[in-house]
Amino acid sequence: MYEDSNSIRNPDLGGAQAVKILIAGGFGAGKTTLVSAVSEIKPLRTEERLSQIGASVDDITGVDGKSTTTVALDFGRITISSEVVLYLFGTPGQDRFWFMWKELSEGALGAVVLADTRRITDCFGSLDFFESRSIPFIVAVNCFDGAELYAEDEVRHALDVGPRVPIQFCDARHRGSSKEVLVRLLEYLMATARESTFDALR
Amino acid sequence: MTGAASAGDEDPGPLVRPFAVTRGRTGKDLHGLDILTLVTAARSEGDSAGLDREYREILRLCQHRALSIAELAAHMNLLLAAVKVLVGDLIDGGYLIHRPPPALAAVPDINLLQAVLDGVRRL
Repeated sequence: MYEDSNSIRNPDLGGAQAVKILIAGGFGAGKTTLVSAVSEIKPLRTEERLSQIGASVDDITGVDGKSTTTVALDFGRITISSEVVLYLFGTPGQDRFWFMWKELSEGALGAVVLADTRRITDCFGSLDFFESRSIPFIVAVNCFDGAELYAEDEVRHALDVGPRVPIQFCDARHRGSSKEVLVRLLEYLMATARESTFDALR
Repeated sequence: MTGAASAGDEDPGPLVRPFAVTRGRTGKDLHGLDILTLVTAARSEGDSAGLDREYREILRLCQHRALSIAELAAHMNLLLAAVKVLVGDLIDGGYLIHRPPPALAAVPDINLLQAVLDGVRRL
């Protein structure tokens, strides 16, 4: 009752922290499917206009009509604890634009690059992006029904990723399988973090 | 809100509509708001009676819980940039408090990674 009559509460964000993992890959590789499989909510969609991204625009009159493409971004949410929330962001559907989304990649714990072996080259853009920005990633090969099965070393060779980058085979439609992809990524992130701590101490 | 309808026959087009709720402002000083900045209401819903609909909606969504800017934008079906302007106004007015996402250091926080790993394993 006291709280209701008191207009200004003493709000507290406590130790609340929001962290994110990016789910990248070519169009139709199963990004939103994977997010849906593990998210506690139905994936949400939000949109941004490319003309706004990363620009310090303060007046809309200067916005060029040609540069107002809207990119959609699907994301899910996993409550880790009372304090930590993990967001999974599928990179925007218009793959030729998503890399322009600087804000999306900043501060990401890491990324999953979904590969479809029927269209393996579709994920090259994502691989290049994360490699060039030193964002740690793993490759998850989404095994679509009827897709030819390849061995890990064949995939590694086709993608030209280093020997340390984990490659995980998965079925993005299944919660357990998609969960294993995230576990594999996080284990890799921890191993990488431990090594850099070790290097820093040497 | 003075909507597009009152402006006559001319369709203002996509340049204007997404920012009608912000009265055309696309934001300059936005408290460094990020898609993952968490916000929570600092005042009760009753305090927002005099505010425009979108402001009240944000405060309603953020009562007693922390929501990210991304979630607010999705729930309200507004562009992220527009939500940042509205949230910035509410922060200025003392209606919301916010917390930016953790800045990742060169060496990531092992404890945070472990907590996230444990949480995912429990799924």
